This record gives sequence, C-alpha cells and structure tokens, in this order.
Amino acid sequence: MSGRRAVRDGLLVGNLETGEEVALAGTGCRICGEVTLGQNRLCPNCGGEEVEPLALSAKGKVWTYTVVRYPPPGDYKGADPFRPFALGLVELPDGLRVLAPLSCAPEQVRIGMDVVFQPRVRPDGVIQFEYAPAGEEAAQ
Amino acid sequence: MTEVVIIGAGIHPFGRFDKSAEEIGSFAARAALQDAGVAWADVQASYLSRMYLPATSGARILRRLGGTDMPIVDVEAACASGGAALHQALLAIRSGECEVVMVLGAEKMPRGFMDPRMIYADWQIEMGMSLNPAYWSMRAMRHMHEFGTTELQIAKIAYKNHKNSVHNPNAMYQKAFSLEEILNSPLVCDPIRRLEICAPDDGAAAVVVASADFARRIGARKPIRIAACVHTIARYSADFRCPADSMSATAHNDGPTEVTAAKAYEKAGLGASDINCFEVQDTDAFCELEIYEELQLCPLGEGGRLIDEGVTDITGKHPVNMSGGLISKGEPVGASHLGQVVELVTQLRGEAGPRQVDGAKVGLGHVLGAGGNCAVTILQR
Ligand SMILES: [Zn+2]
Repeated sequence: MSGRRAVRDGLLVGNLETGEEVALAGTGCRICGEVTLGQNRLCPNCGGEEVEPLALSAKGKVWTYTVVRYPPPGDYKGADPFRPFALGLVELPDGLRVLAPLSCAPEQVRIGMDVVFQPRVRPDGVIQFEYAPAGEEAAQ
Repeated sequence: MTEVVIIGAGIHPFGRFDKSAEEIGSFAARAALQDAGVAWADVQASYLSRMYLPATSGARILRRLGGTDMPIVDVEAACASGGAALHQALLAIRSGECEVVMVLGAEKMPRGFMDPRMIYADWQIEMGMSLNPAYWSMRAMRHMHEFGTTELQIAKIAYKNHKNSVHNPNAMYQKAFSLEEILNSPLVCDPIRRLEICAPDDGAAAVVVASADFARRIGARKPIRIAACVHTIARYSADFRCPADSMSATAHNDGPTEVTAAKAYEKAGLGASDINCFEVQDTDAFCELEIYEELQLCPLGEGGRLIDEGVTDITGKHPVNMSGGLISKGEPVGASHLGQVVELVTQLRGEAGPRQVDGAKVGLGHVLGAGGNCAVTILQR
C-alpha cells in the first residue's frame, strides 16, 4: 500500500505508510527560540534562517475551543452527513498552540482538559489529524 | 503638516439588491460629491476600497460619473480595506500632489458563507477550519473562561446594536430583537448565536477628502477633520482570527486593535476618554466586547461590565455602533469602514436624527479582519 500523504506538505513526521511514530512537524528557531507548526525554512516570528526541524509533543491541553454547528464551507472532508464537532486550540508543551478538530463528543470538551495527538487516515489515503481526550478524561 | 478634511459623505444602503456594483457604487460617489458641492471634474484622484469585486472595479464604477483621466486605484486589505484606501487619500493630499480625492467603498458579496479559498489553505478547509465564526467564538470561550464574561453580556451587545439600527434607514435589518429572542437563536459556533453575527451583503459609501485650504476656498459646509487614519496588520501570533493554524504560547504581542488604536490616539493627540462616539467591527457581538478593552474604554477583562452599565448605549458616556453596527447593517467588506466614516461624519455634523449622540465632537471608526488587518480612523469637528 502506498500513496499516503499528509494533508499539508511538511505538516507530519514519521512513517506515513505504517503510521509508526507519526507526529506533528515543528520548527525551532535558534535565534528567537520560537517553535512553530510545520517544517519552515524561515522562522515566522523573526525571519531567521537558523532553524531546526522538530517532532512536536503528542500531549497537550485545550486552551480554548468552540463547537462548529454548521457545515464549514468548501471541500470539508469530515463526517458526511455533517455532525457538529469541537474545534480546539491545543497548547503543547513545546510552546505553541495548534488548531485542530477534537475527536470526542462536543459536550465532553473543557478548557484545560488533557488531549493527545491522533493521526487520522482518510479513505482517500490522506492523513490529517485531531486530538482525543487523554488519561482520566478518556476513561469517562 | 497639511490638514486633511472630509467635505462630503454619501452612502447607498447596505442590504441585498438586484443592482450592479457600478450602480450602488456610483450612487454613493455621486451623493458624496453633491454633499461636498464639488464637481467630478475637480477631483484629482480616486481610491476604491473593495475585496470581492473584480479587477479595476474602481474605474468601472467611477467611469459612470463621466470621462476622466485621473488615477483610479483599487485598494484591498480585507475588512480594513476602507481604512487602507482612506489612508492613501490622506497621503496623496499631504504630499501636495492632490487637493481633492474621492474615496469610495463598494462591495457586492456572495450569499451565505464566503468562498473559503479566498483566505484558507486547502488543508484547513478539508479539516473543517474554514467557518469564520469559529475563530471569533474561540476567543469568546477563552474570555469567558478567564474573566467570567457571560452569554448574557454578549447578547446585550447584539440587543443594543439591533435596537440602534431601527433608526438607521441604511441598515439591512432595521429590527429590534429581545434578549430572549437573541439567546434563543441557534448557536452557530459556541457561544455565538445567529442573531449575534453579521452577514455579508452589498453596499457602498463614499467620502470626498480635501486639504483644509481647499475646503476654505470653496466654503465647504461643516468640514470634518481627519485627526488620524492608521492601518496595520497583526504582529506575529498576536491574533488567531482566520486563517490562523497555530499561535505561540510564549510570545505575547499586543493585538492588532491595541496597536492600531495606540498609534491613532498618538497621532490625534487624544485618548479613548476624549472620544464621544465609536463605530467598531462587531463581526460578532463578542468581538465588540473585546474591542472595548482593546480601545482602552475599560481595563482588560471588563468589557462585560461596560455593556452591563450601559456605557456604550447611545445615551451612555461612550456610545458604540449608533448605526446598528455590522450586526444589523451587514458587512459589505470593502464598504464597511467608509460606512462607519459616513456615520461618524453625520454624527459630528449633528445630523444623525433620532440616533444622534448629543454634542458629539470626536468619533472613532474601527475595522478588523482576515490576516489581522486593522484600521482606526479618528474624526474631529
Ligand atoms: Zn525566530
């Protein structure tokens, strides 16, 4: 089986074919210290070239969220028929907050709750990602 | 520095019309010229603010007023397009190149949600991140969490703006809603509801801008001084409005409204407390509440208290969105800031009828949108 690809170039690291050790790609800046999402040649904060590729932590906390109750416009690849879903801004210990869908029921989401990164392979072979409740929260 | 004034203002109602952009745009431009008592042939340059209209729309629209060889330039900066265009006029006059400039904002918007590819990458659309209200709503959720702001306080802003719009014949919805109706309207993105967000629509607004010398020479009626007109974009990670995919948890830059307002206050030599009336970007009701804080009408976290105390009511100390705001007028993106400017000119001239703010001498218009584009204009009589 081949042909799996990330929903955006440079967004994921790991073995996309087997799904092993797949994580969000990040870029660390040696000049300003900012960590940014995806593989970047230049630091989006300071424009510096002295950057290094990173794999971002899988664990994070919901910093804020909303529940999207209408189908987003355009070529949305989520549940069909549409189901309301939570969209969260997840704070990672690496020092950034990442926007992503949350896989749990919207009413389960709380600000501050622990979540974990989950790649999701779509039927078209494209790998996107979401966050799921972690630890105790997952057990509830 | 050359003093720059607005000598004429005109508007085509905001709403949904079976009319072309050329029709509504030229209507507003003509109204502004008539109000200024200036002939089209005397205007030396024109700027069109628009986002969704096709290339060279400025020339297409303004050609209707008669043949001309002046420069006509389209300006685009998302929701702040009108501020960017007005700023160009200010520069043209201050440079000495021009004495009289037309600034027109016009838009005809697609119905419903806008084509997301205008501002989002494909992967964001595929993952469900292309509903604009989601971004505003996440800010609201965080504000509620940190400061205890309530859904009722957010609804009160929508209530105020809908109520004000009843007296504005240029608003799309001129209808008051009860707090109960607002709080019972469907959630779009939690906690923001249908009656708390603005809809895209059509509209046009225009001003004739001139040097103060020119205004004196022609004996302009009630010229209004442009005390400041500033356009900026958000600093790194300072705003997670669309189309953000991530933001820093460590870098803390001031938001675009705070930065733009601070620059405008400095240029005008004025502070928030000196300003008698405001027209601000109420893309959603929470957005207005947050802007109270960012414009320094109150400390961080106290926007809810301000609406509770009626400070921003039309009879309050600092009325906000006397026109009904975008929540009731709709947002024809390119025209929205010029619409605010026309409202402020009308207020400062004392001609706003039942929605007049008593004794208004200084007014502030604010817009904010995609890419963290923000503009603040301060007008003074
Ligand atoms: Zn850097």
